[in-house]
Amino acid sequence: MKKRLIALLLAGTMAVSLAACGPDNSNPSDSVSNGSSEDVQQSTPSESTPEESTPETTPAPEAQGYSEAPMLADLVQGGTLPKLEDRLPAADDIFVDTADAAGNPLEIGTYGGVINLLGAGGSWGLSRPVLEGIIRYNSDGTYYANVIKSFEHNDDYTVWTFKLREGMKWSDGEDFNADDITFWYYMCHLTNYDTKKSWAALKETVDGEDAWANLEKVDDYTVTWTFANPKFPADFVENGDFKWCWAPEHYLNDMIPDSVYVENPYWEKTGLSDEQVLLNAQAKGIDAATVSDLGKAVTYYWWNEDGIPNLNSYVLTTKEGNNSRDAQLCILERNPYFWKVDAQGQQLPYCDEIHFNATSEDGQDQLMFRSGELDIIEVAMQDISSLLTDLGDKAQLRTLASTNWGSYLLTFNYTCTDKNYADLFSNVKFREAMSICVDRDQVSGLLSEGFLEPGQCAPQEGNFGYDAEWEAKWTDYSVDNAKKLLEECGLVMGSDGFYDFADGTDFTLTIYTYTDSGAADAYPVFEQYYKAAGINCATKDIEVSAFDTEVDNNNWYAILGPHTAIGGVSLKSRVQPFVPIAQSAEWYGEYGTYYGTNGEQGVKPEGDMAKLVEIYEKWKATPDSAERDQYTLDIYNLHKENLWTIAYLKAAGAYSLVSSKVHNYPDLLVSDDLYQYQNIIHYWTLFKTE
Amino acid sequence: MEENAYKSESMHEGVPKKTLLESVSDFFKKDLVQYIVKRILMFVPTLLLISILVFFVIQLPPGDYVSAHIAALATEGEIVDADYAAQLRADYGLDLPIHEQYIKWIKDIIWTPTDSTYYRLYGSHHNWKYSFAYGRDVWDVVDDRLGLTILVTAIIMIFQYAVSLPIAVYASTHQYSVGDYVSSVIGFLGAAIPNFILAIVLMYLSYKWTGNANVGLFTQEMLQNGIHLYNFGDFLKRMIIPILVIGTSGTCGIIRSVRAQMLDEVGRQYTLTARAKGVPERTIIMKYCFRAAINPTVSGLGGVLSSLFSGSTVTAMVLNMQIQGPVLFKALQAQDMYLAGAIVMVQAVLVVIGILFSDIALAFLDPRIRYSGGGR
Repeated sequence: MKKRLIALLLAGTMAVSLAACGPDNSNPSDSVSNGSSEDVQQSTPSESTPEESTPETTPAPEAQGYSEAPMLADLVQGGTLPKLEDRLPAADDIFVDTADAAGNPLEIGTYGGVINLLGAGGSWGLSRPVLEGIIRYNSDGTYYANVIKSFEHNDDYTVWTFKLREGMKWSDGEDFNADDITFWYYMCHLTNYDTKKSWAALKETVDGEDAWANLEKVDDYTVTWTFANPKFPADFVENGDFKWCWAPEHYLNDMIPDSVYVENPYWEKTGLSDEQVLLNAQAKGIDAATVSDLGKAVTYYWWNEDGIPNLNSYVLTTKEGNNSRDAQLCILERNPYFWKVDAQGQQLPYCDEIHFNATSEDGQDQLMFRSGELDIIEVAMQDISSLLTDLGDKAQLRTLASTNWGSYLLTFNYTCTDKNYADLFSNVKFREAMSICVDRDQVSGLLSEGFLEPGQCAPQEGNFGYDAEWEAKWTDYSVDNAKKLLEECGLVMGSDGFYDFADGTDFTLTIYTYTDSGAADAYPVFEQYYKAAGINCATKDIEVSAFDTEVDNNNWYAILGPHTAIGGVSLKSRVQPFVPIAQSAEWYGEYGTYYGTNGEQGVKPEGDMAKLVEIYEKWKATPDSAERDQYTLDIYNLHKENLWTIAYLKAAGAYSLVSSKVHNYPDLLVSDDLYQYQNIIHYWTLFKTE
Repeated sequence: MEENAYKSESMHEGVPKKTLLESVSDFFKKDLVQYIVKRILMFVPTLLLISILVFFVIQLPPGDYVSAHIAALATEGEIVDADYAAQLRADYGLDLPIHEQYIKWIKDIIWTPTDSTYYRLYGSHHNWKYSFAYGRDVWDVVDDRLGLTILVTAIIMIFQYAVSLPIAVYASTHQYSVGDYVSSVIGFLGAAIPNFILAIVLMYLSYKWTGNANVGLFTQEMLQNGIHLYNFGDFLKRMIIPILVIGTSGTCGIIRSVRAQMLDEVGRQYTLTARAKGVPERTIIMKYCFRAAINPTVSGLGGVLSSLFSGSTVTAMVLNMQIQGPVLFKALQAQDMYLAGAIVMVQAVLVVIGILFSDIALAFLDPRIRYSGGGR
């Protein structure tokens, strides 16, 4: 009962929070400047329909002057750090942070303390809490210029201008200016040294060939990107990949080998061999086996290497033993040159350090949280109730709503090499049968202890494109109807009590899952329903990379819990989950490969699958936000019609327990790749009290 | 009484007494050197065979590091294009046939020439390759945790032997006493309860009683400032659970086996004879019975070196201990074949060396083996 109550509360709060996220239908502004998240505060999410927030410049709190953390003041006193005024950008270019990503005003904090987090896993773990991007999103999908002071485009969207913040500095005190942009673009990106030359944001097609933007330095604080064709926001600043466009030239200039050099108007060859750059890197404590590894380490996953200056609120410590994401205790220290202040002019961040405490098993984090060794942990919804009961007012629950399209997703291989299966999967009646043969209420009880409600693979309530009818489509449990549908698909009941293909061949639905997705544990629950409906099935649980290989090789039938599922904020987050344009998501299989390889490989999409791509091309070609939303909805409608992927329950959010000592930790935001997941929390504004 | 005491002394006088140094010197004068040389020569083919097995078994799972890496990135939301995957495979030599990969791997481990980039970067002639998962030279990764692994495992082993041998001797000399029963019950419990469950229970109790679950070997403070005299007490506190968990299970095994052996030896003719001749009980037990009873334990020491190197993997993971075992686990999960291969190879080398040492120790301990040429 208690769990149900919490579930209802969670669902309610998520709905309220997400109600603000509506489609945006504003006119794109010609120029978006901003230096403050106060914009968010000034306009409520429901009113702030423009994607690009257009705030007035926030007056810097000059009256009070600026202040800094005591530990930095001591360094200034000791003469090892310049004065605060010399570390911050020019007064007009300081970013004044006054509201969280939901628009709620921030509490003015106090300095000191450590935020203790769980170990940073994967390549991106250290970046999530601290990465500062070109733009920053609010949880309602609006965004504003962040590291750069402003961006603007000309009338036909062929020239984009970025203005930088004057006086802004790297975390080591060196000036951050236009040279760092040209260096990144011409020496790190176009050389493919960062391995990301394929990014769509800076690429276009000219005369049938790939071409890249022309970057020009106008002055120390202004650069322009020029394209041959219109480059609309969706494909440029809003592109989820295009998170940064700078690299610290002063630090990396001895790590770029001649072997990757491309001619450009700004930078000459460094004269360094591959081996020499590896040696130079090693002298700076960066270990790499190959030049390609080095390039990716220092120009792409640069937050994982200590010593490389950055523009984030915190930087990886250089202290041996704590300077690696693999360390038992990895430490990020405050950036003394951080360019954001609070409403009272206190330089952010508030806390001195972020500690990442590695654990090796599930459950250790909860013990450490109880012991006070961790301040923030993620919890499974089943554990929330018992933990909150135990911890009382020592912890607060915080929810990040999900943009996933459901839980327990089942998808099929429409490009299966066995024609019998491919035809059957393509028949919409088969998918309907697979959907209605499962008792979702019972599944909810068995797999989520009733936390997750029955639902379909559709945008969840509060998300863009939410449609109650879609969410309830094919969710009425009926084994008899399912059997009828299967027979209408041409399947024939065999003597063993399971359906066979019309030609008499055996039909067995082999459902793949990948290890650690949790789907293998759920499979037995679904198996009983499928078998009761006459569908003979089997499962194959394989390690994730082998799983991906099977998918890439088109060697699969059905998948429970796909690796790249449909869903997300919308097309503006990432297109691949929604449209078959790459060898990416399972639900479109080889159709995506066809587009991704310009028709050289894969299977040519037809029917509604082809229509998805057609609409996407129109979506790409329009700068008009409202029109783009309409195309997105058209794509959604095709998904609603076809339900290429079925879901059985609604999506689960991400739940965190936060120590009551931590302040300014927002609630009811949205977790999505576009927002860089936890990055939306704004860790530099968190502070702790005893 | 006095007569007996005299007899006992004269019996001892009858056996020529040797100092320890003389015993060791005698021992090595025999054909043992030849024996050791033979065994060392056998190392080469043994290790080559092991290396082939290791390399191929590690590569058995479908996919390779690159596919595992790309899958991990996909889970984090990063989409990697096929060109990059192909480039990575070419860079790492993963696109070569597996036998060529093996030859290159083993050749570089044995000898990397001075004019190679590797030598210029790392100053070593033995290139164990690069750990993909850690983004560092393999030997650096192994070296990182080696000291701690040896320290922790050594402490636990000393605990095991220091506790178990006296208990075993006591239990065997006081058979069916209360002490024997108590040690037997503890022994059975220790052997029967899986380490990881005991670890969880102890962490829970620690949390309940002290408010701190003592997860991991170090406090945050130690992880920042290292272990010094002032915080060594805290470190030892954190060692209590690992010692109890890993130590007790091993202890139980040793107690059971030494007790059984001791009981066997205590009932033998030579013991009765010695006792009849008035040799002091303490001498009979420690010099004759115990020496013979620990043979099986000593022969089991072959695995000690390897254990010192790797530690106890599952328990280390449950207790969040920063020793080598979890590194191997991570390497295998990520298909980081060079790192996994290096760790397993070093373990294999240590097992082979350990077995040699235990054979030598056995021959030294037990004259029957020595004189009959046993073990050869």
